[in-house]
Amino acid sequence: MHEMSIASSVLDAVRVEGRKYNGAHVGKVGLRIGEWSGVDTESLRFCFEALVKGTELAPLALEIDFRPASPNMDIAYLELEGG
Amino acid sequence: MERIAIEKKILSANDQVAASLRERFAEHGTLVLNCISSPGSGKTSLLERTLASFPKDTRVAVVTGDIQTDNDAKRLARYGFPVRQITTAGACHLDARMVERSLEGWDVGSLDLLIIENVGNLVCPTSYDLGEECKVVLLSVTEGEDKPLKYPSAFFRSKLMVLNKVDLLPYVPFDIEKAKENARSVHPEIEILETSCTTGAGLDQWLSWIGRRMENVKGLAGYAISQTA
Repeated sequence: MHEMSIASSVLDAVRVEGRKYNGAHVGKVGLRIGEWSGVDTESLRFCFEALVKGTELAPLALEIDFRPASPNMDIAYLELEGG
Repeated sequence: MERIAIEKKILSANDQVAASLRERFAEHGTLVLNCISSPGSGKTSLLERTLASFPKDTRVAVVTGDIQTDNDAKRLARYGFPVRQITTAGACHLDARMVERSLEGWDVGSLDLLIIENVGNLVCPTSYDLGEECKVVLLSVTEGEDKPLKYPSAFFRSKLMVLNKVDLLPYVPFDIEKAKENARSVHPEIEILETSCTTGAGLDQWLSWIGRRMENVKGLAGYAISQTA
């Protein structure tokens, strides 16, 4: 169960990247998770929601693009809400 | 909403630490193996047999990870080589920073071989690069031959699969050819060895596999030095 630390790394990246766009709220983060990445997407989603709740990042949606037979584990994009 | 492409690895912070470790190991020609398996597949036993077979002047060290206890480090320290325990206190895997910290005070340049025994877990450790030269996955014949299909990332990322406890094959319904086929279906180039730490079967092949990789890594380090000279 390392999905908590994966989710936490995603949020760190959202904070770092989000700061580059002054004032804009990150509304959504898009991930690419491969079948061979060793990550359970349901568990990742659960951890992500638990970590976001009650922080300055909320509300933050999560979209997971699941890739069969791939080892990838990437942050693909962020979506900004007007700021 | 405005969409901004990021295209970054989620564990890029870990990967950066791993990359700097890998550079350090490569510079010194140190072969680093990251051993992964389920709990109880025989990682520690294999390492015990490995250390026991090395001449006393072998420049080898072991870093062993467990959630709790330093039992493995105690078992491995009996062979007279440097051993360090990483106790993760709950975490199900080692990450690059833990390995970096465990190396503090050690002269990596004085090592030809560093074996990292990961936490017993076939899932989480596969996500974390530790700066190793390659991963080695153990699968024991008391497990299911479909494990490569159930836990593909471990087999996809490993250079070598060691099928351990083969002395028990007469007593278990494990189909060894099926296990190999399953591993190859996930990773066609995976190398495969069969070992038993009880009878010693296959250990010679395991030791020569390590030996060949050590020579390879040494050769590359020499090459890198001559290139910069």
